[in-house]
Amino acid sequence: MVLRADYKTDLWVDWCPGCGDFGILAAIQKALSELKPKPWQVAIVSGIGCSGKTPHFIYSNGIHTLHGRSIPFATGIKLSNPDLMVIIDGGDGDLLGIGAGHFVALGRRNLDITVIIHDNQVYGLTKGQASPTLQAGIKTKALPEPNIQDAINPIALALTSGYTFVARAFAMDIDHLEEVIKRAIKHKGATVIDVLQPCVTYNDIYTTQWYRKRIYHLEEEKGWNPIVERPEERYEKLGNALSKAWEWGERIPVGVFYEDRTKDTITDRIAQRIPSYYNKPPSKQAIERYGKPLLDDAKFREIFASYLVKVEK
Amino acid sequence: MDEKSSEMRILLGGPQGTGLETASQILAAAYAIGGYRVYSMREYFSNIKGRHSYIGLRVNPEKQPLAPIEGPHIVAGIDAETIFTHFTEAIQDTIIIYDTRVFKTKLRSIASMEKYFRDRVRETLEKSNYDTTVEGALRYASEELGAKSIGLDYQAILNDFSQEIGISKYQAQRYLNTILVATIANITGLSLDELKRGFKRRFGSKVEIIEDNMKLSAIVYKFTADLKDKIKIPTPHHSPDEYLVVNGNEVVAMGKIVGGLRFQSYYPITPASDESFMLETHENLENYVDKSGGIVVLQTEDEIAAISAAIGSALTGARSATATSGPGFDLMVEALGWAGINEVPVVITYYQRGGPSTGLPTRGGQQDLFSALFSSHGEFPRIVISSGDHEEAFYDAITAINWAEKYQTPVIHILDKFLANTTITLELPHLEKIAIERGDLLQAPPPNYKRFKKNGSPIAPRVVLGAENAVIWYAGDEHDEEGHIIEDPINRLEMHELRMKKLEIAHQEIPQEERAVLYGSGEDFLLVGWGSTKGVALEAIELLKREGYKGAYLHLRVFEPFPKEYVAKILSRYKPEKIIAVESNYESMAAKVITMNTGFIFKKHILKWTGRPIYVKELSLATLRILEGLSSREVLSYGA
Repeated sequence: MVLRADYKTDLWVDWCPGCGDFGILAAIQKALSELKPKPWQVAIVSGIGCSGKTPHFIYSNGIHTLHGRSIPFATGIKLSNPDLMVIIDGGDGDLLGIGAGHFVALGRRNLDITVIIHDNQVYGLTKGQASPTLQAGIKTKALPEPNIQDAINPIALALTSGYTFVARAFAMDIDHLEEVIKRAIKHKGATVIDVLQPCVTYNDIYTTQWYRKRIYHLEEEKGWNPIVERPEERYEKLGNALSKAWEWGERIPVGVFYEDRTKDTITDRIAQRIPSYYNKPPSKQAIERYGKPLLDDAKFREIFASYLVKVEK
Repeated sequence: MDEKSSEMRILLGGPQGTGLETASQILAAAYAIGGYRVYSMREYFSNIKGRHSYIGLRVNPEKQPLAPIEGPHIVAGIDAETIFTHFTEAIQDTIIIYDTRVFKTKLRSIASMEKYFRDRVRETLEKSNYDTTVEGALRYASEELGAKSIGLDYQAILNDFSQEIGISKYQAQRYLNTILVATIANITGLSLDELKRGFKRRFGSKVEIIEDNMKLSAIVYKFTADLKDKIKIPTPHHSPDEYLVVNGNEVVAMGKIVGGLRFQSYYPITPASDESFMLETHENLENYVDKSGGIVVLQTEDEIAAISAAIGSALTGARSATATSGPGFDLMVEALGWAGINEVPVVITYYQRGGPSTGLPTRGGQQDLFSALFSSHGEFPRIVISSGDHEEAFYDAITAINWAEKYQTPVIHILDKFLANTTITLELPHLEKIAIERGDLLQAPPPNYKRFKKNGSPIAPRVVLGAENAVIWYAGDEHDEEGHIIEDPINRLEMHELRMKKLEIAHQEIPQEERAVLYGSGEDFLLVGWGSTKGVALEAIELLKREGYKGAYLHLRVFEPFPKEYVAKILSRYKPEKIIAVESNYESMAAKVITMNTGFIFKKHILKWTGRPIYVKELSLATLRILEGLSSREVLSYGA
């Protein structure tokens, strides 16, 4: 088959001109171009909405799932084939509204998946309703009245849910986003990148210009070190990250908030119980021999001995 | 003993949490080791401790019982509530075993009893001028029904026991269930050695527990010496060398393991979760099966995640399933449609319970047929299999995954609470007869592989996600051959038709007489049913033979693709007024599905929706009433 160095498909990308999704798509493609996985070794999983189309534009396996459900679909994929590089692209409404329960669950599992949140504070494809990341009191273009629900803080939620790599980036700063994506992919465990992005059609408040004036890079902050190298540093670093997570307004931090290199993943825990798990995950096991089950009568008796009763006449 | 049968029927009752299930397991094992066929059903509240639960055991020397039947030969109660709840079920010579210390207990003092039930019991007793006490209930059973009551001082027995082994009276309380076990064993003619086999079976290597239970049993045998062999069950003559002793959840898990299931995701729900626990218990197969690894069992955050993860896993080529009951299935239906449009081989094992909503969460029913067949928006092919007993459930669990892969579509395997929680003796399956069919599954993609390139055939060759040299897209949107979104009308026309046509292929390939099975050839009447109706229908037909009516039973096994020509042919052999639908629901759902598929409109129905299983005698009587022209629709209600 043909490999494509740029990981681009031939489809016309049908987002609005100027959409932040273009930046995210480009950053993912660039990251892949540098990491060079084979396209069949990657699975890009998405939910519903503008961002949901992302997998179709990337030349690698793509699974465009249901609204809010990208995480559980990806979880099944990764658990049954842990060799795949699994990346989730979802909107803020998708991942933090309808899919919030799954978002928390992925953190608890610390499964080695990268979650990219397209965070533009609105539901674009349904014409501009407020998303869970829109602050209360704000009235974006399409809203009939200002938002009366408070916003979720994706960084804080990810940190408290157990994600071991939590970062924020800006969609229009493609080079930085690409670097963060590469780090996230390389990290072993559940990772979240909250990507701030404009919605040029429905969000007239949080525009590219608005962000450009406020964004600063954590990496450039003196003394900032979010990396947990030893388990005992975990809670101190989490605390630091949480404080930064609430910084919003005149100064908005981007970069890596937290990176815990010490925590095992759910697949490690599975492998403790099923030692052959990484070599023979569910997708890579033989299950039949010449069309017959691998279990024969003797094996069946052995496995289910506790259900077997020998008649004593 | 019932003059019509040589079997033994035992009802064991007591508060939830007092080891009734353990008691039934010990007895079931002891009888099974003796070569008897055992059937053990369980009724319980949605409650952990304190509410009344009971077990209905049938022990038969010759034939496997597959349904509950009225008229226990022994009723053994841990507490007063058991007596109040079941004394009216006694028949001539039923032995009721009770604790003499509850003899004077008043009906109104039983706080755990539901008011409506208590009111009905009071009415029954008062109407016939009996005291509303355990004593009154026992007198009623003896004078009105011919039962015999045998009182034992449970606490005196436990006192002797606690002194013998040196534990406190308080600690001895958890052995209450053993008093019932040993009493029943003694009455039915099990020697202490034969009873010990049951304890050994249940407690395995826990030698101390076995010994303690044996010490208590010996005390009980002394206390009940005059009851020895009172109703000894005839010795079995033709038993196999070994049995499986399994319930419905367990047998499905066994089927899945044999069938190559490697991923199961689930969210806890009654009565499905035990299946997933059993899979997790056996997750590590590498020591048993060459080339095998293990089964990943994932408890998810909800049922939406459960099915979504199973679908994701199925995309990678692992045989994948989820197990749930009605409320959980409701949450799964959006993803079911995704699996339909993306042609994903995923299995949903669906244990019905009493609905709607939370309904009767620990009780049974057959109210979810429409839900299994019609839920989820849009049109897509799905296969719906229904199991009628444990043996069917085992093989169906394998067939379900086979058909899912062969026809590349979701398969719903319907069972119910009655099967899930009923333990039986089952002869070992014949594994050499089982086929693992993976359908058109390619190890490597051909050049320019496109997941949905069909070349006119409805079933496209499948390559799994992650296969070398294959790039695959899936979308919930209508898709083109590569899996990309497309709204083109002509593509839609063709893609949709190709998907839907898979059901026609399945309909042509799967023999219809396997999808609906006719039992018997009696020409006087035809019972039509599905699921756990099978066992009770077959036994009722046997019973009705003695009344001079020869019947047959048409058992529906696959609802989609529906075996319409075959079913229509069988129905045409009977006069419409001799065809009776038997179902555990109000609407007679299966009858309506038959009407939809064949045009035949049912005139006669026997229905039950109390959440309790259909009993053999009530079904027989209802059938008689219909055959004698007394009724067109019978509603059953036996069982506490």
